[in-house]
Amino acid sequence: MADVMTICPYCGTGCSMSLSVTDNKIIDINGDPTHPVSEGELCLKGMYGFKHVADPGRLTTPLMRRGDSFVAVDWDTALDAIADQLGVIKKESGPDAFAVFSSARATNEENYVAQKFARAVLGTNSVDHCARLCHAPTTVGLTMTLGDGAMTNSIPELGDVSDLIFIIGSNTAECHPLIAKHVLKAKARGAKLIVADPRMTDMANKADLWLRIPLGHDIPLINAMLHVIIKEGLQNTDFIRDHSNGFDDLARAVEDYSPERVSQMTGVPATDIAAAGRAFATAKAAATLYAMGVTQFSCGTGNVVSIANLAVVTGQIGRPGAGVCPLRGQSNVQGACDLGALPNVYPGGRPITSEPDRLRFEEAWGVALSPKVGVKITEIPAAILAGKVRAIIVDGENPMMSDPNTQHFAHALEKLDLLVVIDLFMTETARRAHIVLPAGGWGEKDGTFTNTERRVQRVRPAVLAPGEAKADWWIFKALAERMGYQGMAYDRPKDIWDEVRRMAPTAYAGMTYERLETTHGLCSPCPAEDHPGTPVLHAGGLFHTPSGKAALKPVLFHPISVPEEERKAFDAPIIGHIAERPDNEYPFMLTTGRRVYHYHTGTMTRRAPLLEQIGPEELIEINPADANALFVRDRQYIKINTRRGSVIAKAWVTERVPPGVVFSTFHFWEASSNEETNADNLDPLSGIPEYKVSAAQVTKSSAADAQASVAAKREYYRQDVETAAIVEMRAHAAASA
Amino acid sequence: MNRFVIADPKLCIGCYTCEVGCVEVHVKVGLVGIPRLTVTHTVAGTMPMQCRHCDDAPCEQVCPVKAITFEDRSIQLNESVCIGCKMCALACPFGVITPYGALPQGETSMTYGGFLQPTPAPVTETPVHALLAWTVGQRTVAVKCDLCHFLPEGPECIRVCPTNALRLVDEETVITSNAERRAASVEAIATGDGLALHHPGL
Ligand code: SF4
Ligand code: SF4
Ligand code: SF4
Repeated sequence: MADVMTICPYCGTGCSMSLSVTDNKIIDINGDPTHPVSEGELCLKGMYGFKHVADPGRLTTPLMRRGDSFVAVDWDTALDAIADQLGVIKKESGPDAFAVFSSARATNEENYVAQKFARAVLGTNSVDHCARLCHAPTTVGLTMTLGDGAMTNSIPELGDVSDLIFIIGSNTAECHPLIAKHVLKAKARGAKLIVADPRMTDMANKADLWLRIPLGHDIPLINAMLHVIIKEGLQNTDFIRDHSNGFDDLARAVEDYSPERVSQMTGVPATDIAAAGRAFATAKAAATLYAMGVTQFSCGTGNVVSIANLAVVTGQIGRPGAGVCPLRGQSNVQGACDLGALPNVYPGGRPITSEPDRLRFEEAWGVALSPKVGVKITEIPAAILAGKVRAIIVDGENPMMSDPNTQHFAHALEKLDLLVVIDLFMTETARRAHIVLPAGGWGEKDGTFTNTERRVQRVRPAVLAPGEAKADWWIFKALAERMGYQGMAYDRPKDIWDEVRRMAPTAYAGMTYERLETTHGLCSPCPAEDHPGTPVLHAGGLFHTPSGKAALKPVLFHPISVPEEERKAFDAPIIGHIAERPDNEYPFMLTTGRRVYHYHTGTMTRRAPLLEQIGPEELIEINPADANALFVRDRQYIKINTRRGSVIAKAWVTERVPPGVVFSTFHFWEASSNEETNADNLDPLSGIPEYKVSAAQVTKSSAADAQASVAAKREYYRQDVETAAIVEMRAHAAASA
Repeated sequence: MNRFVIADPKLCIGCYTCEVGCVEVHVKVGLVGIPRLTVTHTVAGTMPMQCRHCDDAPCEQVCPVKAITFEDRSIQLNESVCIGCKMCALACPFGVITPYGALPQGETSMTYGGFLQPTPAPVTETPVHALLAWTVGQRTVAVKCDLCHFLPEGPECIRVCPTNALRLVDEETVITSNAERRAASVEAIATGDGLALHHPGL
C-alpha cells in the first residue's frame, strides 16, 4: 500500500488529499492536515468521489462511430482518421472551421497543449472552455477594472484576517464547503457576515445580515450601498485619489440609487441596505466572495464591475483579508484561463491582438499565428449552423449537458463534419461524436492545477490509466505530429511546464516543479525562483491596468430596460437588465445551480455509489406558498416548462427559494435544467448566457409522467449507446489479450 | 448517562459528508447501508438529526421483540432481530429511526444509473402515513444511530465533518460544561452583568 499526495479533482478550493493505493486501486482518501486551505478536512465529494476512477464504464480504447453505434479501434486508426479529416477541412474551409473545447479539469500542462494545438497546429484562436459559462464576466470585468481577472486574496486570509465578509451570489456552503469553513472561522473570531442572495442558502442562514434581493438585482444593491457610503463620506478618499480613475462619474451614477428607491425595486429594507454599505466601508478588512449568482446573467460583467467598484471606493483591496474573491468552480478553471484556453488571450493572459506578444509566440512555436479573435463556446452553435465551424475537438467537457438550451446545442452538433470527444466516459456528448478517445483522468495524470486563489499545486498519478487510455497532452501531441507539426516534443508534463514558465514568465517563471514539490503550491504571479508567490494582488494599490490605477465604471440597472436619458448621462456606462422576465404565460422564474453531493453533469460523482445514494435524483426547490397553490406536497412530482424544454422531477417544498422562483440543477440527465435555460441572451461583454433566470411554467405532475419523461430522456441522451460501447470495448480488450 | 452525538447548527453547513461517512462504515461491517443521521434544513438552521440515546428510551420500551436494548451507555438496535413493525419509529420523539428495506448484507443499498431506479415506486402514492409506505419484496428493518460502536475511534460522522460541527456528548462533557456555565454565571453576576448569562454551549 502506498500513499500519494494530490489535489481534489472537484471544486476550485483545491484541497490537498492523500490517496491510499493498493493493487493499482485507490481505496481510501484522507485530508492533509498540513495544507493551508483544507487543514486536514475534505468535503464529501473529495473524500468519497473517487470511485469513477476504477469504474467499469471507463473508456479503454478509441471508438469510431459506425451508424448508430461505435466500433473499437487502435490509436493509429483513430488518430489517422482525425488528422486526415482535419487536413481536408482545413484545405476546404480554412483554419477557422475548427474549434477546440479545452477543459477546466485538465491540468495546466494539458490546457497549454490544447490551446497550442488550436493556435499553432490548426491555426485558429477558437479555443475556449467552460469558464465561458461560469466566470467569463470575472475575467472580463476584473481585468477591465483591476487589471487581473482573478481572486485577489488567498483563502486562509478570510479565516485569519477579514473582519467583514460579504457573500453575494455564492452558495459557498454547498459549492465550496472548505471555503465556507474559513468563513465560519472568521465568524468565530467576531467577523461580520453579510449575505446577498435570493435563496436562503446555509450561508444566508448564518449571516448577521441577509439581503434577500430578487434574482439578478446585484447592481442596484451595490449602487445603493455606494450611494450611502458616498453620501455619508465613508469612502476612502486617499485610495480613490491615488489609485483610481473615474470616481466622479461613478458617484454621479449611484446618486439615483438611494436605498429607498432600491428598496422599492428589490423589497430589501432600506435600512438593511444602508447598514450593509456602512459596515462594508468601515470594516478593517472586508472581502467580497461571489460566484455564479453574480456572473450568470446577461449583465454578468456589470455585476462583477459593481463589486470591483465597491472594493475600490472603500479601499477594501490590496491588503490581507480585503479584496474581491471570485470563487471558481472547477479544480483548474483558473489555470485553464491563465494558460490561454480562451479565444482572445495567450498563456499568461496576453491579448492575441497585441503584435509583440503574437510575434513572441510565433517565434517560440515556429509558426505564423492568426491575429483574429476566436469564436466563444456560447457562439459555437450559431457558428456551426451558419456553416462556419465544421469540426470540433472536445477535451473533457460534456457540453450536451453543461451548455444552455440543450436541444439547440444538440441540433448544431448534428451538423458537424467531425466531432471528436476526449473523455473518461461515454458522456452525453461523446455519444454524439464521430470519434471518441479514451483519456487518462485524475488520479492517473501528472501535472499541476491552479485553485481559485491562484495557488499552483502538483497533482500526481496514483494508479495506471485503464486499457489504452492516454493523457490528453499525449493525444494532442500525437495528433500534432500526424499533422506535420514538430513543436510538441514533450516527454512528460514537466517539459510542458518548463515551456509554460518560459512563455509566461511573469506569472510562472519562479515555479519550478522542484519548488512545487516541497511547498503546498505557490500563488501566481511568481516571476523568479526566489519569489515567494503573491497571495495578495494589488498590494499598495498597484493595478495592472494601462494607467496603473483601478478604473471605476458607472453600472446602471433597470429590471426591464435602463431609460435612454440615464444611459446618455454617462460615457460608456455598463447597462444591466433581466433578459427573460416572467409573464402571464410563463409566470415563474427558474434559476439554476449545484448541490453539494454532485458535481456538474455528474460524469464522475454519479459513478460514486455513496454520493449517488445521498443525491439519487433531482429535487426542484419550490416555495411552500407556490406549492400550496399548485396542490403539490413535498416530494411529489412537478413539471417545469420553459420556452426551450421541460423536465419532471420531485419537488422540495422549502423556504430556501422565494415565492415565484424554482431552483434546479444540471446534475441529472433525467431532469437537466439546461434543457430549459436560455442560450440567446448573452452578456454582450463576456458572452456568458443568462443561466440564472428563465421564465417558466410550473405544474403538478405524477410518478407515471416522470417515468415516461425519463424514458424519453434516456432515448434523447442515448443512454443505450454507452452500454453498447462498453460491450464493444470489452470484446476488443478480450480479442487483443 | 447515555452518550450521544449532536451537531452545532452554527457550524453545520449542510454538506452531507457525515451522512456519507455513516453509510460507508456501516456497509463495511455488513449493516444496512443508509445514513443513520439526516441533514435537516429549516428556516432557523441546518443540522443532521440522529438518535439522542434517551436514558428512558421510548423506542426501547415499545419494541415488542427486544431488538432495541440498553448497552454500553447507549441504545442499540439489532437489525437481525427487528421485525420491521415500525413502532419505534412512531414512538421516537425526534424522528430519527428510519424504517428501511434492507438489501443483502454488504451491498450498498442504491446503485447509480438514474433516478426512479434506486428508489422503486412506493406501494401506494399517497399512503396513510409516510412510515407505512414501503416496497414489496424487501424486508424492512428499523435503522438508527449506533454510535459506530464497532469503531475503536468512535463515531465516523464526527471524524469526517469538515467544519467539526459534530461532537460526542457524555457524562464528562456535561460535567465540564456545567462547571463552565456555573463559573460564567458567577462571573456575570459578580462583574455586574447581572443576569446576562453566557451560554458557552455544551
Ligand atoms: S471543498 Fe472542493 S476541493 Fe475541497 S474536498 Fe470539497 S470538492 Fe474537493
Ligand atoms: S458533515 Fe458536518 S457540516 Fe456537513 S452536514 Fe454533517 S454536521 Fe453539517
Ligand atoms: S431512537 Fe429516538 S427514542 Fe430511541 S433512543 Fe434514539 S432518540 Fe430516543
